[in-house]
Amino acid sequence: MSGNRSAPGWWVVLGQELRDVWLGGRGPALTFAFSLILSAVAYLVATNTALNFLEQREAVGLIVQVTVAMGGILVVIAAADAISGERDRGTLEALLLAPVPRRQIAAGKLAAALSLWPAAFLVALPYVWFLGRGVGVVGDAVVVGLLVGSLLALELGALGLVLSLFAGSNRVSLALSLFVLLGLFAPTQLSAGAQQGWAGDLMLRANPLTAGVHYVGRVLVDGHSLGRDADLLVAPAVAAVALAAVALLASGRMRLRPGGAR
Amino acid sequence: MRRALAVAVAAVVALASPAAAVASVSVTVDRVGVATGLGKRFAFRSTVVNTGPGEARGLVAHLNIASLRPGVYVDPEDWSTSRTRYLDPIPAGATATVRWSLQAVNAGSFAVYVAVLPADAAGRPPTVGRAVRVTVAERRTLDAGGILPLALGVPAVLGLAAGGLALRRRRLVSSV
Repeated sequence: MSGNRSAPGWWVVLGQELRDVWLGGRGPALTFAFSLILSAVAYLVATNTALNFLEQREAVGLIVQVTVAMGGILVVIAAADAISGERDRGTLEALLLAPVPRRQIAAGKLAAALSLWPAAFLVALPYVWFLGRGVGVVGDAVVVGLLVGSLLALELGALGLVLSLFAGSNRVSLALSLFVLLGLFAPTQLSAGAQQGWAGDLMLRANPLTAGVHYVGRVLVDGHSLGRDADLLVAPAVAAVALAAVALLASGRMRLRPGGAR
Repeated sequence: MRRALAVAVAAVVALASPAAAVASVSVTVDRVGVATGLGKRFAFRSTVVNTGPGEARGLVAHLNIASLRPGVYVDPEDWSTSRTRYLDPIPAGATATVRWSLQAVNAGSFAVYVAVLPADAAGRPPTVGRAVRVTVAERRTLDAGGILPLALGVPAVLGLAAGGLALRRRRLVSSV
């Protein structure tokens, strides 16, 4: 972790981590896998020539929702590996000995994990354009996807980092992160009837993932304006800020072994 | 005399029958035709007139859409999210107006009509207003054939880039 004296520590860590993610091959491989999934989904919806106007908007909504969800998964996978991965590979000690505050190490690693999200979003743009150009939702889809996806990526990245800080091994960190992610996604599979009433509505709005996904649907499928359902973005925004703050605060307690001595 | 009595009884039965009760309302619409484009929104109003001597209670107005050409699948729920309205009681001789908002989601020729029926509708025919003819101009919004180059091209480009990077990395490692 030698190097640039004028640059802040987190910036140096970020540069190193970006090289690891993108030149090391993990980022391109994950992005390639993501493009295969998007291609399969887009091909299935676009070759249905019986799609009517509304169903075509739903197809754009589906692509954006898949992008937001998969972008979150890519980020959480990278973030969950950030500290526990170094620990498992035996490289954390060298990192902790570097003259960089631990919070800055965590900030750099979180920022590097987040770099997977804009890459996933860029990959999704051609599909969004193809499906949405005829029904005039490309602009809305880009704005909504970027907004919701960025909030969820920050939130999930921070969650993965917190779990990575305290997990006993990288395997536990990854498994816990994906388990929490699945738990957050589970309510999206509930039937429409189960989401009615105050309890269903509260669950929908309080869960950052379901709230974000519903916001995408309201704007892209129902044709609502961007501001009409802005209250659905409260939970994703609060969760993103709160979890990022928790991750940075908790990273001050980064240890060579979880719960062990410095 | 016997024949007159039979006619009178038949008349009473007919007047007292449910069908006769429903026939005491009529339905009119403010438009007979709409020409629009795919994806455009439009609206029309229907007016329910109570032509009977008493107050009409528990009436339900329902909007429906049918394609006038075969081969076009129509899902009315896609056209309008609010197709059933429960009307307030209508005094004798009074009217109730309902505004219906729709979005043209299929191209072609369609008939949109409003039926009014009582809440206890079992066995009674609804009262139906005139159909509004809706002509939706074709607009090609999705070229299904064009997806294949995109669906293959994006992963191919990314796969080549990832493969190139992996190859470069392997060469660097072997040279070290």
